[in-house]
Amino acid sequence: MTALWPQTSGPSHPLAHLLPALPALIPVLVLLLGLDVYCLVNLVRAKSVRNAPKLAWAIVILCVSAPLGAILYLFFGMDRSGSSGGAVTRPPRAAAPTARVQAAQAVVRTAGLAQLALTATGLTRDYGGTGLFDVDLAVPRGSIYGLVGLNGAGKTTLLSIIAGTRHADRGSVSVAVDRRQIAVCPDVPDFDSWLTAAEVLDLARSLVAPATPPAVRGAAEVTTALRTVGLADAANRRVGGLSRGMLQRLGLACALVGDPELLILDEPMSALDPAGRADMLSLVAAMRGTRTVIFSSHILADVQRVADQVGILRDGRLLYEGSTRELMDTYLTPSWLLRVAGNAEPVAAALAAQSWVTKVERAEPDMLKVQATSIEDGERGIPAVISGCGARQVSCEPAAADLESAFLALTAASETAVMTGRARP
Amino acid sequence: MSLWRLEWLRLVRTPRALSLGAVYLAIGLIEPVATRYVSTIVGHASHGAVIRLPKPTPADALSSYVSEAALVGLIVLVAVAASALGFDSSPGLAAFFRTRVRSMWQLVAPRFVAYAAAGALAYLTGTLAAWYETRLLIGSLPAAGLFAGVLCGVVYLAFAVAVTALATSLARNTVASAGITLAILLALPLLADIHVIANWVPSALVGAPADLVAGTQHLSHFLPALAVAAVAAAAALALAVVQLRAREI
Repeated sequence: MTALWPQTSGPSHPLAHLLPALPALIPVLVLLLGLDVYCLVNLVRAKSVRNAPKLAWAIVILCVSAPLGAILYLFFGMDRSGSSGGAVTRPPRAAAPTARVQAAQAVVRTAGLAQLALTATGLTRDYGGTGLFDVDLAVPRGSIYGLVGLNGAGKTTLLSIIAGTRHADRGSVSVAVDRRQIAVCPDVPDFDSWLTAAEVLDLARSLVAPATPPAVRGAAEVTTALRTVGLADAANRRVGGLSRGMLQRLGLACALVGDPELLILDEPMSALDPAGRADMLSLVAAMRGTRTVIFSSHILADVQRVADQVGILRDGRLLYEGSTRELMDTYLTPSWLLRVAGNAEPVAAALAAQSWVTKVERAEPDMLKVQATSIEDGERGIPAVISGCGARQVSCEPAAADLESAFLALTAASETAVMTGRARP
Repeated sequence: MSLWRLEWLRLVRTPRALSLGAVYLAIGLIEPVATRYVSTIVGHASHGAVIRLPKPTPADALSSYVSEAALVGLIVLVAVAASALGFDSSPGLAAFFRTRVRSMWQLVAPRFVAYAAAGALAYLTGTLAAWYETRLLIGSLPAAGLFAGVLCGVVYLAFAVAVTALATSLARNTVASAGITLAILLALPLLADIHVIANWVPSALVGAPADLVAGTQHLSHFLPALAVAAVAAAAALALAVVQLRAREI
């Protein structure tokens, strides 16, 4: 075995003996220099870098022994959110809610509605005193089911067990739809930061629909889903550059792109601004009747706005399950704030004489607070009494007839009593 | 987009492929040069003292490459493989994948194949670079022995990626997974001290290229280690899938 290059001995200059090895050294130098140049070009083009300022990284790349400085930059400095490339960086423009609702309706599939989409019996997951205990659930098909509870009430645990990502210690879940027709959107969705939004959706679509449709149809599904959640303009942006709210929208789009029959959303509005929340609520509301949605929230106004069924969790136990309206009827004393023109005294006296009125009090000189035995009695009786008195009504609105009040009433009641049946505080 | 394309994009859009290739290539280019000039370098460093070292042989250069690649290269490969296989390290990412696939194998297989292949390609690139430099500076390497050695090295790297998959099923954290993997891989040579099983331990494959090139061993000597590495890799992957299936997020 002989070397192609002649072996030399006794060079006159200290570096002269390296000259014969030049062909061997050139690739080493090219590699080291190439890596440094690549990193420097990337650094110059990058809009932002991680962990240190750009100047500091430039010094590290140039001054730290090659190629260590370049490798350090590649792993710890390079921004992989795609902000250095030609990615679209315009902020996404939210689609009008009506357009979004139409898009949602295009995505959803009308299906024959059976009685229940999901039932759970005696679900228990004990984390040592906290968790979930003997939860029974019945979710009608095509309904919007709001799961309400304070932080730590067990909402995420319950949804995780339903989704199959956690196991119950006891109890069972029965789902009336194909498991592959269930989509889950966690409260903090996460994706590989170097993928674009459109690529994430394409991946989600291909995973839930293995029988890949023609490329054109697949792309159309992705585009529709992005438009549905208001991310059409961010299709080519890398995920690493999206805000948390946009990630949440993308998570919902990923859930929708598979056209699921059962959609499980864990705190889907938690990272959205008020406008985004309103849009998302409209989107969820538009799904009523076409797919079953179970979503958790501690924002009761959101649940009240879109959910027709509600389950209230507290300390891992289901306090109530039923219609939202029934909950408010049961746990709230119906009351109205009535404002009349002029003297309110005669109206107050006339109302107090009614058998269905439980209480009348002056809130302000021209305003009365009226409590009735039922919502129906109040809604029918108050206008009639005002008319009978010849008074002029300025306004009449329900007082504290919201889910939050019902929730507080229900949880307060649960402190003192244990109930059975549909309402079980 | 399939999960296979996802792994391809993960390799090329992140520094993973670049780092892996650059590290093996750098080792392949530098080690033969260092071997050839080690006496000169030591002589300059010792301020005039005369140090006589035996004339380096081509097998010495390859041995030097193999030992560096088995440490630095392996650490980089395990790190990049652990970051890809550790999809459970982020609950959001775990939910995305786990609620959409039919089995954990669907997630593990493309990652294992992608990183075993990337490791093999990087190792081959580094070996070719070492061969080029050695041929220029010291002398030729026997092609048959070299490629038989590469085969052994590639099987060992696939085994290392499979162990990484198993480690990611035991620990969620990427650093912890990489640490477990390296602990296992670096502990294996200790087993080789037991004479009876020395030839059966997968770590015997690490030095195979140098032995095969030097002619001190034949490929048949490494067949037990090759068989154990293949079976252990398959077992590690199967166990990883079972563990991942049982894991909650």
